[in-house]
Amino acid sequence: MTEQLVLGIETSCDETAIGIVRGRKLLANVISSSVEEHARFGGVVPEIASRAHLEAIHSVLTRALAEANVSINDIDAFGVTAGPGLIGALLVGVSSASGLSLALDKPLYGVNHLSAHLAVDALETQHELAPAIGLLVSGGHSSILKVSNFAQDVTVLGSTIDDAAGEAFDKIARILKLEFPGGPAIDRVAKEGNASAIDFPRGLTNDSGHIYDFSFSGLKTAVARYLQKVPNAVVADVAASFQEAVVDVLLEKAIAAAKAFGMEELIIAGGVAANSRLRQVAAQRCEVAKIQLRIPPMTLCTDNGAMVAVLTSLALSQGVGASSLGLEAQSSTGLSRVFWP
Amino acid sequence: MTSVLAIDTSTSRTTVAIVKDGNLLASLHHDDPVAHGEVLPRLVAQLLQAENSIDEVVIGMGPGPFTGLRVGIVFGQSFAFARNIPWRGVCSLDSMAAEINEPGFIVAIDARRKELFWAQYENGVRVNEPQVALRKVVERFAVPIYQEGDVFLSAAMMPRITGDVREPIYIRRPDAYPTPEGVTFRAMNTMDLITVASLEKAIYAVEDPWSIDQFKEELASKDRYYLVAEKAGVVVGYCGAMLAGELADILTITVDSSLRRNGIGREFLKRLIDWARNKKVEALMLEVRVGNDAAQPLYTSNGFYPLNIRKDYYGPGLDARVMRKDLL
Ligand SMILES: [Zn+2]
Repeated sequence: MTEQLVLGIETSCDETAIGIVRGRKLLANVISSSVEEHARFGGVVPEIASRAHLEAIHSVLTRALAEANVSINDIDAFGVTAGPGLIGALLVGVSSASGLSLALDKPLYGVNHLSAHLAVDALETQHELAPAIGLLVSGGHSSILKVSNFAQDVTVLGSTIDDAAGEAFDKIARILKLEFPGGPAIDRVAKEGNASAIDFPRGLTNDSGHIYDFSFSGLKTAVARYLQKVPNAVVADVAASFQEAVVDVLLEKAIAAAKAFGMEELIIAGGVAANSRLRQVAAQRCEVAKIQLRIPPMTLCTDNGAMVAVLTSLALSQGVGASSLGLEAQSSTGLSRVFWP
Repeated sequence: MTSVLAIDTSTSRTTVAIVKDGNLLASLHHDDPVAHGEVLPRLVAQLLQAENSIDEVVIGMGPGPFTGLRVGIVFGQSFAFARNIPWRGVCSLDSMAAEINEPGFIVAIDARRKELFWAQYENGVRVNEPQVALRKVVERFAVPIYQEGDVFLSAAMMPRITGDVREPIYIRRPDAYPTPEGVTFRAMNTMDLITVASLEKAIYAVEDPWSIDQFKEELASKDRYYLVAEKAGVVVGYCGAMLAGELADILTITVDSSLRRNGIGREFLKRLIDWARNKKVEALMLEVRVGNDAAQPLYTSNGFYPLNIRKDYYGPGLDARVMRKDLL
């Protein structure tokens, strides 16, 4: 029996993205972004994002089908991000997916965006999916998730209580007068610096009420204060020490979670997974802790449709039921379910 | 034999119909201004049981409140794409006008903020492009105005409307302002309490400023939403709102006096409005001190209108004007 062909749609923020998979094999991954329109406003404007999704979605769909070399009639099931995200943006993806699924009488799965970020690790690998701890770090998320079963049982252990890790990189890059986006800029400059030059605070590390939560705003303030106090500080040292503090706290908490729940794998996903220091320290600490480290390819780490498609594919293979017609897009964060009923 | 599926979600009514060879085969509707996304697929699925073979989709392209409007457009386009059939867009005001049999009239759809999306018709023909204007401006035309409620848009009429509108009729530009230079916005957290309380004390010295403990309590309460504005790592302003049943209430918008008129207050207000919209409340309320002329234009330009006066709200002789912005 050939594996099922699944099309996944992602429109939760500012990327209009569609991916197509057959089982766990990636056939297409097309992304159109409205990031540039938002740059002027310094943050995603929901109405602009929603308009851009509607404008882009059918050309992204056409390109994805061409890239996968399949017809829309060949698709066996549809997946769509139903939350969390911007409500108006989510509604474009959900309504498009509903139209496709109803027209072709094929099942539709409303999918949790956070779960999809971790499930993308199943793509292109023959790796047996084992229970894992997920560290999801990007401009929009900083969460530690416990994944008992990718398609059925994912819970959020902790999240940031203020800025996302990627946001902290952007803001510090701005203070240091480095370019946007801040992640790659700091990563590059930090290579020339001394990571132990300045001892910046590690937020919430000794707070028993927030064992798996993050806070980056105190760190950000500490960097700003340091620069006021030491006007001719070495930028590379500040960048390296800041990055070290972020990496340290992310991994300390993620590995503590893996140990506490007896998980043998750690999956790091989201845009910040590209950070070279995070990868380096993660490899070292996972080896010491005898934890298998998994980081999906970078093109699949940021928001994309393939992650939605592969999670839907896992649902099909595990016999999870499809969502009902008229599933409700939900903006709120947290993870109450992997699939919408 | 041609069957046309017609869809419109530009008003609070989700309306769908199948018209076969010019005759209405079936039509359905549901009234709910915030549920187009959930309702539309169910209604269309029901219609398809009567006739599953569709040759064309006709879609209402607006004008209408943006989020709901897009549901019908993207659903209809995707349905047509999947079935490999054409779609045709029509002006939603034209569909509403088709219900009215009069020589001259105006058709209008509520655009919120006391404004209307409207167009004028003479002998069944639209005489201007759809536009947006304050209700009182539209009322100056001495012709009858038909709005949702007086008349309902019906998808059954849509296949008869001529023309082919390929883009959504938005009319209004998205609400977005360039953010103030170097200022960033984020959720307030417990580490901000000291700075926030000292700003509060400096600014509201005579008006009974909130203490650190009061802010702490506010932050801990889950119906509250607080943001701070930061410049170079320093908190320079804050705002907060609370949910109260079907309403949300703005509790404070405070900006460091040296940084006023920089767009920080405007950005706060915009974010509070977005938050309240996402909570699907009916309206957002606020109180402004009578005589505080500086703040009033910001609120009115964002669709707040005055309701009533609360005597001595801020202390003896300090009255508050209650303002409301409708969100649904
Ligand atoms: Zn994401």
